[in-house]
Amino acid sequence: MDPVTIDTTKIRTTKRKPETALEKLEDTGMINTILAAKDREGFILLTTIDQFINWGRLSSLWPVTSGLACCAIEMMAVSMAHHDIARFGMEVFRASPRQADLMFVAGTVTKRMAPRVKQLYEMMAEPKWVISVGSCANTGGPYHESYCVLKGVDNIIPVDVYIPGCPPRPEAWLYGIIQLRQKIKNEGYGVKWGLNK
Amino acid sequence: MNSAEELKYLLPASVISVGVQTNKPLAVIKKEDILQVAEKVKEMGFDNLSVITGVDREDRIEVIYNFFSYKKKQNLVLKAILDRTSPSIDSVVSFWKVADWLERETYDLVGIKFNGHPNLKRILLPEGWMGHPLRKDYDMSIEQFVTVGEDGEDIVSTDGSNLLRGE
Repeated sequence: MDPVTIDTTKIRTTKRKPETALEKLEDTGMINTILAAKDREGFILLTTIDQFINWGRLSSLWPVTSGLACCAIEMMAVSMAHHDIARFGMEVFRASPRQADLMFVAGTVTKRMAPRVKQLYEMMAEPKWVISVGSCANTGGPYHESYCVLKGVDNIIPVDVYIPGCPPRPEAWLYGIIQLRQKIKNEGYGVKWGLNK
Repeated sequence: MNSAEELKYLLPASVISVGVQTNKPLAVIKKEDILQVAEKVKEMGFDNLSVITGVDREDRIEVIYNFFSYKKKQNLVLKAILDRTSPSIDSVVSFWKVADWLERETYDLVGIKFNGHPNLKRILLPEGWMGHPLRKDYDMSIEQFVTVGEDGEDIVSTDGSNLLRGE
């Protein structure tokens, strides 16, 4: 039998640029997934990793149970049925900072409490966010000239959202929470982790 | 006759003057006779010592006791004038147990020494705090910070570098 000789120089490997949507899908290899789903009459949801992770994070922010002064009373009002932060998946106030990813600094941060607040923040696992609530936590408020009160909790820990008020109404809390959700929604983790290649 | 006048009637040598302070009967007493006066005030039925506080008047320091009687529904305010340089007065813990913490608070914030107090140390501020903050000459320009030591104790220093965020 004669050996078949193939002249490899005559073969031109051409890859057509994908034009139609189906071709583009074929190009990514996703067509198999879609065909498999079609076989089983299932559905497919397309999203980005960023959107998916951020959606997961902002939908179940668990705050740590820590109240420093009268703002903590408003925090209780926010979590009760009338204003109901369970709508945001936030009703689970955790007793341990290890299980929480949000910290409300609700009240006056005195010099003596400051290292403890910082320690609580450092004990929280990443990712973590901080909402500073009320005039005292924002700037020292009425105690700005005091010898024993820190002039703003952002002197010791980074703060994401400031809610003004003395103490802020529960509606202001809800607005602050929505602002934080907006902020989390726009965070880009895929780029940070190198998933954009 | 209000309670201050009654006290002056009972102890004419110890009460310097009587008057009214915020609608309550006031008796200014000699600081040496505080134990005598306290015994008499207790006998008069003032079972509740509401407040002990101190006022820095720059040339003198006043220590003020507010009493209330649940039986007679009466108020009484005692005031004693102390030295500015080394304010000290006898403790009334033996008559009212609540004076323990109230005197510690007054010692902490105004710096009045209460002789005979069983445990006279700071109650609100941590040990090692410099100065007594309700004195007029308290130095507000020195900022003091508190950090937590290894055993959970408070450490006071003017250096906030391990507490404050570096920018």
